[in-house]
Amino acid sequence: MHEPETLGDVLAKRGVSRRGFLKYCATLASLMALPPSVAAQMADKLTRATRQSVIYLSFQECTGCLESLSRTHSPTLEGLLFDLISLDYQETLLAAAGHAAEEARANAMRANSGKFVLMVDGAIPLKDGGVYSTIAGRTNIEILKEAVPHAAAVIAVGTCSSFGGLPHANPNPTGAVSVGTLMEKGLIERKPLINVSGCPPIPVVISGVVAHFLTLGTLPELDGYGRPKVFFGDTIHDRCYRRPFYDQGKFAKTFDDEGARNGWCLYELGCKGPTTYNACATAKWNGGVSFPIESGHGCLGCSEPDFWDAGSFYAPLPAPRAPLSAAAGAAIAVGVAAGAAVGLAGLYKRKKAQQAHTKLTVDDLETEKKP
Amino acid sequence: MSLRDIAVRVEASPASRIGGIRPILHEIRTLLAALIDTGRGGSIDLRSLPLSPADFEALDAALGEGEVRATIRALGETRVTETAIHGVWRVTHCNDGGEAVADLIEVCDAPEILKTHAADARVGLAKLRTRLEPG
Repeated sequence: MHEPETLGDVLAKRGVSRRGFLKYCATLASLMALPPSVAAQMADKLTRATRQSVIYLSFQECTGCLESLSRTHSPTLEGLLFDLISLDYQETLLAAAGHAAEEARANAMRANSGKFVLMVDGAIPLKDGGVYSTIAGRTNIEILKEAVPHAAAVIAVGTCSSFGGLPHANPNPTGAVSVGTLMEKGLIERKPLINVSGCPPIPVVISGVVAHFLTLGTLPELDGYGRPKVFFGDTIHDRCYRRPFYDQGKFAKTFDDEGARNGWCLYELGCKGPTTYNACATAKWNGGVSFPIESGHGCLGCSEPDFWDAGSFYAPLPAPRAPLSAAAGAAIAVGVAAGAAVGLAGLYKRKKAQQAHTKLTVDDLETEKKP
Repeated sequence: MSLRDIAVRVEASPASRIGGIRPILHEIRTLLAALIDTGRGGSIDLRSLPLSPADFEALDAALGEGEVRATIRALGETRVTETAIHGVWRVTHCNDGGEAVADLIEVCDAPEILKTHAADARVGLAKLRTRLEPG
């Protein structure tokens, strides 16, 4: 019988050396708040894994999520995501069109039934029978009803498929809803669902979720909104390099005052970092160059439900200025230790570091998953 | 063209110093002592820490530059530098555009990424055999 191709085989064919892959895993481990020492073991496990079949469906969306994911202007390091997965259907990237494309989707679903990961991008309109978004004459909900039962898990990519996003914003003329809402209402079959929100989501978060699945064989732990905690466990504010200025009461009052020039906190200019859970402050954007706050603009809160309807982007949050996590609070209390304490706030690392100052391994993480 | 080609550079303002490098230096000291005692050091992921550009400059100044400097070209550049503190390395992974995507302090004899992996050595051996084939 034909042996399934491992990720290691694929990388070797592409001429990616072990050093290159180790580097990729080091960046993933960094993003997932895992100790850097895990990278080598992660690389070992992943090179022996087979590629994950993925079917990617796009509904009411702007293609920003796919653009973020494909990172067409910097394809190499980030592009390794496409080596982790076998992208068996994505209508924008697919060479085929029309009936041939629809046939490709049906074939991919049949060949990988029960094993593929279904990625869904965009909200799903329900009003007037869902006619506001159709593909090949079929509504989005019809396509989902057909695909979801065959999927091993569903990843909602972006805020639209996670929470409804812009199509769902008031007055929601198309009756747009999220994938999770469809499952809650019993309109599609319930499957393990991971919401990777963000407008767009950070591309490497997707790689991280897939790498987690391939390395550990499980889906990552999720927060109350169904988002992977390794990326959405801390607020932007918790991990923001401007956080100490917030604690010192140093705020920019306008976008061009002395405070803004000194890089002080943007809270009073409407930054939604204190109420937004995402990895922008550590993963950053544009290949790690910066993130909105580093570029001088407050966070819009794009990874949170209903962020379009949450008032002005430039109005300060009404929340009291209180420390948002015990770890950060303790760091403020000791002043100079702020950097190290917040850095240690990575989820796994935090747990383990409290018990003993020992190294974490991939095996440790697997053990943690067991009851 | 990459973002590095843009001539405008942001200067790190001294006013943006957060003062978080002292705990990092203490952590490095602990790891270095462990390396000497047990042979096992460790790593610090600098990108997970809320450091300002001025803090990064202060950290570099505190650690200094040592005897070894290496560049690895694998999916973009990786810069490996031993600091003036022997056994303390700075490893910066960059993407194809030259932007840093991971920044680590590694306390060890030599960073893992410098070593040749057995799988790569096998590829090398096959390549050499082909080159030695007659004809």
